[in-house]
Amino acid sequence: MDYFGQLLANGLVLGAIYALTAVAFTLVYGVVRLVNFAFGELFMLGAFLTTSLMLPEVRLFGTVVPMPGFPLPIAALGAIVITGVIGVVVDRIAYRPLRNAPRLAPLITSIAVSVVLQSLAQTAWGAEELRFPQFYLATLPPVVLFDSIYLSVMDLVVMATAIVAMLGLSLFIARSSLGRAMRASAEDQTAAMLVGIPVNRVVAAAFAIGSGFAALAGLLYAQTYGFAHSSMGFLPGLKALTAAVLGGIGSIPGAALGGLILGLVEALGAGYLPNGTAWKDAISFVLLVGLLYLRPQGLLGRPELNSAGRGSLLGGASEAGAFWLRAVFARVDALLARFAAAGAPAALGLLAIAIVVGTLVPSDYWLRILTMVVIYGMLASGLNVIVGFAGLLDLGFVAFWAVGSYLTSILFVLVLKESYGVAPQEVWWLLYLNLPLGGLLAAGLAVLLGTPTLRLRGDYLAIMTLGFGEIVRVVAINWMDLTRGPMGIRGIPAPNLFGISLGSPRAQFFFALALAAVVVFAVARLVRSYVGRAWVAIREDEEAAEAMGVPTARYKLYAYAASGFVGGFVGVFYAHSQQYISPLNFSLFENILLLMLVVLGGLGTFIGPFVGALIWIVFLQLALDLPFVQAYPETRFALLGVVLIVLMVFRPQGLAASARVGLTMPGARAKEAA
Amino acid sequence: MTHSGPIIHPTGLIERPVEPLLKVSGLSVSYGRIRAVDAVDLAVEPGRIVSLVGSNGAGKTTTLMALSGLLPLAAGRIVFAGEDITGLAPELRVSHGIAHVPERRRVFAGMSVRENLALGAYSRGDATEIAGDIERLTQLFPILGKRMHQAAGTLSGGEQQMLAIARGLMSRPQLLIMDEPTMGLAPQMIDLILDTVLEIRKLGTTVLLVEQNAIEAMRLSDHVYIMRLGRIVHEDSGANIDTERVKAFYMGVDA
Repeated sequence: MDYFGQLLANGLVLGAIYALTAVAFTLVYGVVRLVNFAFGELFMLGAFLTTSLMLPEVRLFGTVVPMPGFPLPIAALGAIVITGVIGVVVDRIAYRPLRNAPRLAPLITSIAVSVVLQSLAQTAWGAEELRFPQFYLATLPPVVLFDSIYLSVMDLVVMATAIVAMLGLSLFIARSSLGRAMRASAEDQTAAMLVGIPVNRVVAAAFAIGSGFAALAGLLYAQTYGFAHSSMGFLPGLKALTAAVLGGIGSIPGAALGGLILGLVEALGAGYLPNGTAWKDAISFVLLVGLLYLRPQGLLGRPELNSAGRGSLLGGASEAGAFWLRAVFARVDALLARFAAAGAPAALGLLAIAIVVGTLVPSDYWLRILTMVVIYGMLASGLNVIVGFAGLLDLGFVAFWAVGSYLTSILFVLVLKESYGVAPQEVWWLLYLNLPLGGLLAAGLAVLLGTPTLRLRGDYLAIMTLGFGEIVRVVAINWMDLTRGPMGIRGIPAPNLFGISLGSPRAQFFFALALAAVVVFAVARLVRSYVGRAWVAIREDEEAAEAMGVPTARYKLYAYAASGFVGGFVGVFYAHSQQYISPLNFSLFENILLLMLVVLGGLGTFIGPFVGALIWIVFLQLALDLPFVQAYPETRFALLGVVLIVLMVFRPQGLAASARVGLTMPGARAKEAA
Repeated sequence: MTHSGPIIHPTGLIERPVEPLLKVSGLSVSYGRIRAVDAVDLAVEPGRIVSLVGSNGAGKTTTLMALSGLLPLAAGRIVFAGEDITGLAPELRVSHGIAHVPERRRVFAGMSVRENLALGAYSRGDATEIAGDIERLTQLFPILGKRMHQAAGTLSGGEQQMLAIARGLMSRPQLLIMDEPTMGLAPQMIDLILDTVLEIRKLGTTVLLVEQNAIEAMRLSDHVYIMRLGRIVHEDSGANIDTERVKAFYMGVDA
């Protein structure tokens, strides 16, 4: 009972923090139907700003800056206001131009905003934790309930604050004129404008309030756990989003309920399940996946929120931006379209160039980098199958990659070498067996994971796949016997053919290139078949596709399977190429990065993923020569984020929209002409 | 709030008597490369009912949406009560005195009738008079008085239409724009709504009406514009308009 009581108390504190963040997600989603992934980062900013304002001085950008040293309440208020303003600015710059854009654009933008904010926070405050200063209430002796449950005074403050803030917000939404305007805008923006509601300002208010709530949650979190860190918002942000979905996104009582449930389940799970603390991050995602499967609208939500909205996930143009910028994009687009129209000859030409480059480049260093380009290009191609061709946003793709990598590593290292003492050279052929095997295993997993997502659309799909990806990562970390956990697996043999090692950087590059040719050829054949046509139909308008008799569920599963196969296939090679893998290689951030590369290079094109990977990885290396980047390597990620935001705002349909494989295929037309 | 009182004049007899309340010149709207509305000129005199009729796709709704600022203009000028409102944001047009009752009603389904009405007065600063206005509107639409605390989505189609009109009137507009107010309603309800349009004019509000029941609409209008393929092809006073000619326009024959 004592133990249970203590866990309950811990769960309530955690639940209060989740609930406050969930309110941010739910409020903004309710008004503009946008999952603002950046709330996790606003949460982090709230923590950093509060901590900084409470300290006498803080190191910012490497220089010591004097700070006011406010007491907690004043610092908190300041942090909430500043974060609220940041939220409004983010909305103005990154989201408002996309109100009528295809649905994928704001999702990608919000992920990019998240990356930018996190990188900038790391640049500003550094990569180390910033300790949260003691507040005098925290020095008071804890309150003891029933002689055995210890609650610090600050725990009580956290809970009370959460309750007051959420009741206050509910009252505000229900009673105030602005609250009523928010509900009206949530229901029907056009009608809201027609009755004279300044919808843009109402949305900005929702962002301000939501960001303030995220900041409040973040500072309470920092207070409770004693630190602020640039990546601290990531996991709580995901959990809070989970809580919001759990309760029914769009509903404030739902967010409170979802947060509370999540906090309690996590605290109790950590306390009672065997090795529970290690698994607690998976608990919430398992709960999420289960709930989305059984009741996609959440506990208190309304079912219509799980709708894609008619029309293409990618189509549509933007009127935003300077003319010259749009003209530049249009030129690039036309160029890419010409290239795409050339089809196979163009692809073979590129392959020839790659072979020449691979033969002539003298430095091993650059050959390794080019190998990474090809690997990331292949992985991005796999993600592109599901996002670019079928139009389903998948944030769990890394799981497939991980499965392939782990399969081959476990077989070669843990089973054959360590359990049976078989030298890798003797079983060199196993790699070639593992390639399709890893692909099939990942494809199987993809179908398994894809099935429950079939009922979900748009944002919900993204959230659920994200949950899956996280589960796989948590399993990889914690199933020590199978994966060796965070230590990772070392000594994976380099590729080998008939006993001849292909371990040299040049051999690896050509090996990767050969695989890439296979991947691109296979994806191209598939996309140009009736399966691909069905995918494109689903991407352009799922309801119309269904009405035309396309069995959308089946083709979505095909898309998952194909995407998973590529992920697993490449994952096998990845492990042998790196010779060491750990769960860190398969984080959600990798997935986000791959997504950004696909978007950068051109969604729904065959070459786009490779172009994106080439630009990014070469830039990543070249930028290292700059002294500024050496001091702040994370700014490169911020730059990628900024580029993507600009790209999405000024060209939400993507850089290579005309090169994208559409329903009318250039190849087919050429054949008719011949 | 400027309030032009009812201007009483014999229907349809006076040609362009006063400065028009709404004057639209050269209004053009494009959807991408398609020009949906092309160089439309309109004038709506105060205290009148003006109709815009035409077959599906003629550009009537697009015109109205451009008037209330929901769509950007490709070209043209909108002058309302002597002021150029061409680039004004939609919500500011409401406070200038234009209310738009949109196609398909678009009431806030999850909110109560009373909240819908209160939202109609969002642009007004005089919170104290809102209760009185709601009271007065329930005299015009008694059924709304009985449904005051019901969610708007639970109302029948006709009741929702009344609510949409009442919501529009809550901003105390000088000009009420109505887009297909009888769409999908039972015949009895259609008569009731059209009678209401006359009532609204009596209360001193000018009306710009788009109606699918063209003949009915023309009968109660002071002035009629006929649109076809994005252009105004004919206009005349409601009394003089040649219904046969209108029918020809609907059929797509250039009479």
